[in-house]
Amino acid sequence: MAMIRNQRRHRLVAYSLILPFVAIFALVFAYPIVEVIRLSFTNATLIGGGEWVGLQNYRELLADRLFYTSLKNNGYFVLLTVIPTTAIALGIALMVQRLSGRLQALALALFFLPYILPVSVVTQIWAWMLDFQFGILQPVLELIAGKPVPVFKNPHWVMPMVALVTIWWTNGFNVLLFLAGLRNIPQDLYEASALDGANRRQQFTRVTWPLLWPVVALVLTLQLILQLKLFDQVYLLSEGGPFNSSYVLLLMVYREAFQQNHGGYAAAISLVVFLLIVTVSVLQYQLLRIRGRK
Amino acid sequence: MKLFTSVALAALLGGALPALAAQQEITWWDFFAGGDGARMKALIQEFNDENPDIKVKATTLEWGTPFYTKVRTSAAVGQGPDVMTYHLSRLPMGLKEGILTPITDADLQAAGLSQDDFYAAALAAAKGPDGTLYAVPFDIHSTVLFYNKDLLKGTPYLGEDGNLTGIDGLDSFEGALEAAKSNGSTAPLSYATGDDGGVYRVFYTLLAQQGGELISTDGQVLPGDSAEKAARAIEIMTKWTENGWQPEQALYEASVALFTSGKSAFFFNGAWEVPTMVDLSAKNELGFEWGVAEIPTLMGKQTNWADSHGWAVPIQGKSEMSAEKREAVMKLIGWMEKHSLDWAAAGHIPAYKPVASSPEFAAMKPNSNYAGLADRATYDPRSPAAGVASPTYDAAVNIIAPAIHGYMPPTEAVEQLKAELEKAMK
Repeated sequence: MAMIRNQRRHRLVAYSLILPFVAIFALVFAYPIVEVIRLSFTNATLIGGGEWVGLQNYRELLADRLFYTSLKNNGYFVLLTVIPTTAIALGIALMVQRLSGRLQALALALFFLPYILPVSVVTQIWAWMLDFQFGILQPVLELIAGKPVPVFKNPHWVMPMVALVTIWWTNGFNVLLFLAGLRNIPQDLYEASALDGANRRQQFTRVTWPLLWPVVALVLTLQLILQLKLFDQVYLLSEGGPFNSSYVLLLMVYREAFQQNHGGYAAAISLVVFLLIVTVSVLQYQLLRIRGRK
Repeated sequence: MKLFTSVALAALLGGALPALAAQQEITWWDFFAGGDGARMKALIQEFNDENPDIKVKATTLEWGTPFYTKVRTSAAVGQGPDVMTYHLSRLPMGLKEGILTPITDADLQAAGLSQDDFYAAALAAAKGPDGTLYAVPFDIHSTVLFYNKDLLKGTPYLGEDGNLTGIDGLDSFEGALEAAKSNGSTAPLSYATGDDGGVYRVFYTLLAQQGGELISTDGQVLPGDSAEKAARAIEIMTKWTENGWQPEQALYEASVALFTSGKSAFFFNGAWEVPTMVDLSAKNELGFEWGVAEIPTLMGKQTNWADSHGWAVPIQGKSEMSAEKREAVMKLIGWMEKHSLDWAAAGHIPAYKPVASSPEFAAMKPNSNYAGLADRATYDPRSPAAGVASPTYDAAVNIIAPAIHGYMPPTEAVEQLKAELEKAMK
């Protein structure tokens, strides 16, 4: 009898412990998702129910040229950021790791600082520095291009520049992840390999890289998810232009929902973006894991 | 967001304390942040002082897309303002969104106004397609031509009386640009060449002067030969860039600075920048003699882009505004119309004829230089795709602005513009 009561109490305790999470999860995640799915089959405006229209939004989306432009731009941005930012972070982490004491803390702080800034501040800083008329970076661009370039208003420059700003802004976090990964590699392995006559290069390819691989896979996946969600920087720096050359999927969601009042259509786009991110990131993570096991 | 919460909170608190001597509290939203904002705030203060039974709580929000997005979402859930400023060019979209309430004859009566009090063009812009009034027009504001007299001295373009003269077409205008350049003007013609509004208004004016139509009343984009006329407009603006007459990718503030610092001889902008020149000149900080005129006929027909500010009463979610409050709102609107001479000091032309035809307004400088444009102006197309913060503004910064900087030939840009607007109208 006592045992049964005990068990019941255990269960009660367990439920009461998970209840807050389940409640919040249901309220802010599960319910909105169900609503988005429902909305995407309606012709709802931004606020209000709308009528059931079946797959019409999806059919329309597949015929929308802007959707493919956005998809392409998102892909281009992922190419521009994911691998470069991972490689740069790894490079910085390897260098920072070799420093010690206060110097290491200082270097780390310098690299991490931009990550603390909100996106509006980051974009403002870069918009000032790259301003066509008064920007202090225009002389640098003049060295590269031969003349000043209005970077966020030039169809060829805009995406690479947004990528550059993004890498500058978010890199610090990746550096931290890599540093944690590097510190997890036992020091003895380096000592043992040194005794066996391994040089720096060999130590990196045979010891560091294989043991760091899980962290690399994690960073690549996190970056992929993050960069597919590109919106703020583009909205603030280039508004999707010129000629839609920086138009991305989430900007499309924003414009359709808030400017054009097409709630149902925007829901359909965001659902597609959601599925895209889930598929691509799961796929990528699995591929990276398989590679890691070999 | 913070603003929004505080406004929502204020509305909540206001609703919770109705006992305060039956004073009507009116939540007011506007988007006047510049020199005109200071004048509007003074007007509201004056109204509050004169009317102890009504209290206007005003909030200024950011102009353009942020304002209209916020209005739509908040009004739909009943957290919006009781009265708001509204661009009449934006009315078709507001009607499509279903957030505007009709202004009835009883409303006008409560305001002490009648439809005959207003300029026909402004009144038409305040009506829906079925003739129902949805806003009360307040002003007519349009693009004008500011000019720097010092930079035109010694050229044939400055008359004996110190006013602009001799510009009657594109050739003579470009001649004046060239003359100003040789007089030391580094950017003879300034306007916001990298911004949606600046580019759109000049483009639209050049199109309208050729008799072209951007969107017809039956919803056709660039009907007939308007596409060629639009291409011609872009071609002209491209030439101004190529010849180094206009600044490259100037944002709004930069375009103003180019003129006020004496680098530009001419400046296309809204009459709302008049207070900037008046104030700077009064403080002796301008450093040159300035003038302002209607945009000359460059392409055959004398007209220019114009819009109106008006007042609209948004829906209150699912509930309805009380009759007493609506009456107070109307009283406020009527009061503002009758005091619109102070608003004219911000460069605008009052839409309320008793003020616009008063001797006080006729004597007001420099407004009287361009007051005639009220009859000749071309308003934005009556389409949900047009107006402030609409797809046409997006297209201006996304397509026309890069095209005039040489990134795309005019005809191709027009094709893309047409495709984009047609898509937005579906």
